[in-house]
Amino acid sequence: MDRGLLVIGFGSTLRRDDGVGPAVAGAVEELGLAGVSTLCCTQLTPDLADPLSRAGAAVFVDASVERAARVRLRRLDPQGSGQVLGHAADPRGLLGLALGVYGRAPEAWMLTIPVRDLGFGDQLSDTARLGLGKAVRAVRALHRRLLSRGRP
Amino acid sequence: MAKRIVIDPVSRIEGHAKISIFLDGSGNVSDAEFHVVEFRGFERFCEGRPYSEMPGITARICGICPVSHMLASAKAGDAIMAVAIPPAADKLRRLMNLGQIIQSHALSFFHLSAPDLILGWDAPPAKRNVFGLIGADPSLARAAIRLRQFGQEIIEALGGKKIHPAWATPGGVREPLTEAGRDRIRNWLPEAYATTELALGLSLTVLESHEEEALIFGNFPSLFMGLVSPDGSWEHHGGKLRFTDSTGSVIADQIDPASYKDYISEAVQESSYLKSPFFTALGFPGGMYRVGPLARLNVCERMGVPRATAQLRAFKQMGRGSVTSSFLYHHARLIEILAAIEHVERALDDPDVFSSDLRADAGVNSLHGVGASEAPRGTLFHDYTVDRAGLLTKVNLVVATGHNNLAMNRTVAQIARHYVRDEDIPEPVLNRIEHGIRCYDPCLSCSTHAAGQMPMRIRLIGPDGEVRREVVRG
Repeated sequence: MDRGLLVIGFGSTLRRDDGVGPAVAGAVEELGLAGVSTLCCTQLTPDLADPLSRAGAAVFVDASVERAARVRLRRLDPQGSGQVLGHAADPRGLLGLALGVYGRAPEAWMLTIPVRDLGFGDQLSDTARLGLGKAVRAVRALHRRLLSRGRP
Repeated sequence: MAKRIVIDPVSRIEGHAKISIFLDGSGNVSDAEFHVVEFRGFERFCEGRPYSEMPGITARICGICPVSHMLASAKAGDAIMAVAIPPAADKLRRLMNLGQIIQSHALSFFHLSAPDLILGWDAPPAKRNVFGLIGADPSLARAAIRLRQFGQEIIEALGGKKIHPAWATPGGVREPLTEAGRDRIRNWLPEAYATTELALGLSLTVLESHEEEALIFGNFPSLFMGLVSPDGSWEHHGGKLRFTDSTGSVIADQIDPASYKDYISEAVQESSYLKSPFFTALGFPGGMYRVGPLARLNVCERMGVPRATAQLRAFKQMGRGSVTSSFLYHHARLIEILAAIEHVERALDDPDVFSSDLRADAGVNSLHGVGASEAPRGTLFHDYTVDRAGLLTKVNLVVATGHNNLAMNRTVAQIARHYVRDEDIPEPVLNRIEHGIRCYDPCLSCSTHAAGQMPMRIRLIGPDGEVRREVVRG
């Protein structure tokens, strides 16, 4: 999706509410919004730097266990990130990778959804389902905003 | 006074890994343990479900090796149906597994390990990562991403864009390769070869400058386990199990993976949720074995393709009998990438990959089935028991990180013994301990969603449980 809005939902769909990010990306995909493409993944990996570098804007969608119990959309800037033991990158790190390797990173946001159940299972809790709907509306609003600026 | 140092990566989901280093009263390292959450939660979650759904479900366990779980699960389903799958389906499953090996090994070598190897142990964590690598060699960083994408391209050409396709199914696979997919893969081959050869050269340079690490990072006698073909060639999806020892002698061969329990036992350690498998005949802990790239290269006699076989011959000269240093996992990984690319190239010329004869149909003909496949990190077993309706009554998943548990403990202990003195764990020493674990590329993504870097909490705990010192990194 060159120069459009890329929505990346990430999380484990076998850990109940952790799968809310992919669920949001799936719901956005079904909307068929012009200039919007989606990706679902369990975790963020370095190869995502390539499609990110080609996107005009990007939204990372993830579950959040932070106390602030609301769907939250905030701007992200590219940043280098240390990798310790795991395989996953973080959104700002991926943006930094896109910038470092491909020379550009999109304007980006982090969309987090409050969750309460990260146990084994593939059903979202009521909390996450409520957040899912709000998150999809947040993506739509962002899409409208970008369109009003001539993007995506 | 005995003390314990704990290196504790914090994750937001329950279930995480940590490293404990035990010091004796003199401040010397007496032992070490690497703790990882095990899969029991997933296993229970699967009970009661139809075995036919398992490839799709288990593929969602892990974001790094979904294909490995899917393929092992499909093979367990084949056994429950008691069918031989069509040759084309077997070839296509193999092709996808090769893509999985390429993408996973590329991630491990270039993005996780190369920063340590190229930037050095003394580089701070903020620099000793892929961003530091970009600064040091941007073209290598770009090539690394492309190589991983090549592996992903193979997987997507077969399974589609969805990240966890239930493409493999009990009895076969759902779709063949298309000619367009074949062409996309074929066009990528020259670049994939070039990047891998470049990395192999880099790896040899690293080995020359890291002789100490090769001696200390997990260099000890152990057994090695992996699948081999009937003629002893490298295997990754079929074949039988072979065990060799550190002298290179074969101690058990052509073992049907379905009878793995006759050869492998699992020890339970009080301090860890993770069981410690060992080769039963040699007992615990003498039956410690390693799996994964190092083990696969140790147990096989050739790679089945010319360029990788030439690399294998040179590799085997790095040891006496077996190559016993876990630091050589990195180099073994690259040889496996090369082998995988060669096997991919060969598979593309096989007309069977376009066949429409892809599935064998049957009901439940056996109440028990085991599927084994070589995941990038090592041999993966899916062991299912079903009722007459095909609903799972028992599920056991034995994963590479478990197989290597004892060896990872031993590796951390060996590194720590060499570098840790009393309560002093300077940054370069922590880096080396981390890297000792990285040699095995343990996959924790099943247990740690870990959106972002995992901070590390290092705690020094006295025998009374009191935290003497705590350092948080990341």
